[in-house]
Amino acid sequence: MPKVYNWQIGREMDYPYEGARPKKQFAMLFDTNKCIACQTCTVACKTTWTPGRGQEYMFWNNVETKPYGYYPLGWDVKILEQHGVQDVGGPVYKGKTLFESAPSGERILGYLPEDLDYAHPNVGEDDSFGDMQQGELLQIPHMQWMYYLPRICNHCTYPACLASCPRMSIYKREEDGIVLLDQTRCRGYRECVKGCPYKKTFFNPITRVSEKCIGCYPAVEGGRQTQCTITCIGKIRLQGFIGKPDEIREDNPIDYIVRVAKIACPLYPQFGLEPNTYYIPPVHVPPRYLVQMFGAGVERAIAGYRKAADDEKLLGALLLFGATPMIIHHYKVEAGVSIGFDEKGGELVRVPLREAIHVRAAFDEQHQAYRTNIT
Amino acid sequence: MSTRWGTRLVLAAALALVAGEVGAQMAELRVVRVREKGPFRDPAAAFWKDAPATPVALLPQAMTLPNNLKPAVQSLQAKAVHDGKWLALLLEWPDATRSDRIVVDQFGDQVAIEFPAEFKKDALPSPMMGNPGGRVEIWQWRAAFQQDLERGRPQVTNDLYPNAHADVYPDELLRAIDARPYMGAVGVDNLITHADKSPVLEQLAEGWGSLTIQPDDQRADGKGVWADGTWRVVVTHPLAGGEGHVGFAPGGESAVAFAVWDGGSREVGPRKAWSTWAALKLAE
Ligand code: SF4
Ligand code: SF4
Repeated sequence: MPKVYNWQIGREMDYPYEGARPKKQFAMLFDTNKCIACQTCTVACKTTWTPGRGQEYMFWNNVETKPYGYYPLGWDVKILEQHGVQDVGGPVYKGKTLFESAPSGERILGYLPEDLDYAHPNVGEDDSFGDMQQGELLQIPHMQWMYYLPRICNHCTYPACLASCPRMSIYKREEDGIVLLDQTRCRGYRECVKGCPYKKTFFNPITRVSEKCIGCYPAVEGGRQTQCTITCIGKIRLQGFIGKPDEIREDNPIDYIVRVAKIACPLYPQFGLEPNTYYIPPVHVPPRYLVQMFGAGVERAIAGYRKAADDEKLLGALLLFGATPMIIHHYKVEAGVSIGFDEKGGELVRVPLREAIHVRAAFDEQHQAYRTNIT
Repeated sequence: MSTRWGTRLVLAAALALVAGEVGAQMAELRVVRVREKGPFRDPAAAFWKDAPATPVALLPQAMTLPNNLKPAVQSLQAKAVHDGKWLALLLEWPDATRSDRIVVDQFGDQVAIEFPAEFKKDALPSPMMGNPGGRVEIWQWRAAFQQDLERGRPQVTNDLYPNAHADVYPDELLRAIDARPYMGAVGVDNLITHADKSPVLEQLAEGWGSLTIQPDDQRADGKGVWADGTWRVVVTHPLAGGEGHVGFAPGGESAVAFAVWDGGSREVGPRKAWSTWAALKLAE
């Protein structure tokens, strides 16, 4: 089996196909600290792509509460348990990937969810971790914690869905790295549903074939960010392209955040898929929990995020989240303003690094009225 | 893992070579001529009593990944008849559960009949779905398709999930052509999605993963009946072949192979039981 280089785990690994990185790689950034689980993204995706028959409980985008929320039920703990305890500590991952753990007769270690696992997309919503002991008082920061985890298909560099399909019905586009499932080729074997550890391929019982997130490719082809990104109320998302690991471009906001400032981490890098969604981890959650979820770099990421205000370039990149519906390919920070550009260098948006503060007198002379602070 | 794949490929090649000729040790399926006129769709028709039964051993598909080395069905029994115009095969195998409800964790029962697209006695394609240049034709009967025809295509709010409620679907609001993008594989006319006329799909293959439905050549028909833990499935097809398609003539011969999937054991795609070639001999 070919060996491919997976930069998230810092080493080569087995993959059924030769490694060929696309010309551009679709990527998504989430700032989990800002997500309020309003599900606007979920609804935007649903109304755009999955309102049809057989898609009633299919959510290409979902937002779950961690640690107790899952969609489908137990998706991550089930595969982690099957995989067994792995050493996720160092920059070079010493454990096995899911491809390397494939049981006899399989291409990858996976499991097929049960039908009812999809029936409660909001299970565990807002449940926090940890008990209040007798006599304890509420403290800041809170002793109990939970956080929101938005999820889409990761348009992985080494997709398990693609690797699992014996018919090669799933392909990764050379032009943008988006992973698509051919609706004319699929025969509904559900190997991809079994193989994808993120459970982001779904089976449609009406069409009897599988379906998955299409990365809003018609929008992306037109230079627009995905529906879930541009509708996000919390402005927690940035969608664009991530450079190749050996071609880091500092003027690409995604490269800057992920590869230069290193404040965003992939989800379960130890699976071995090199997923292309990156999470700014929640700063209030115990590192022990976060490390198994986002990999070894998570503590450094949190430290870097806490100091974002000291790094103008980082602050500038973070302020581009939710600033424009268009895909930002380049940016620069100049005279206290972060400026985003499209692929051809056209200016898309300007965001001030610091909003001016206006202090208004309590009494409005012109209208002879007191101003009331409505917040 | 790489060695495991490698070994299987070598084994597959060896087996394909062994199977590449009609040998004396091959099982034989005699196609008897009957007076009744086709197409034949009744597994309970009286004339089946006159057709000799050929037992067919089924082996686990173990050559490519993924697979299931302990498939539920180990053998089937085949009979065949023709009337000079129509060919029909009757296949019987034990299956304790009838599986025709398709949801994410439930799979359907299926059976497939395979022929070399072009019969050359000393150069048969691989019985394992053919090989590049060695094309095979595959007629596949599906229990779920049988259900579609007998009870109508299942709907979410009645057959599949009887207590479900859904407010409105795009196809209730839009013109048919505009609703297509919201219908996934149905909207792009993928014939795997449901059966309108026949429970049998007619397909071509030249190796694993290459199985392709022929939208313009869907002449196979049939019917499956499940009773007392047994599937009895008839598949029928005109003897005459079209351009590039398998054809038969009274007194002629060909080769035939089979595959069975037990939906209740989650057998699907390459997770199946299959047979090697048997000789097919048509009576005058
Ligand atoms: S729209 Fe934004 S803030 Fe709301 S749930 Fe989705 S990701 Fe979170
Ligand atoms: S997240 Fe799953 S469905 Fe998406 S590309 Fe990766 S393996 Fe495929």
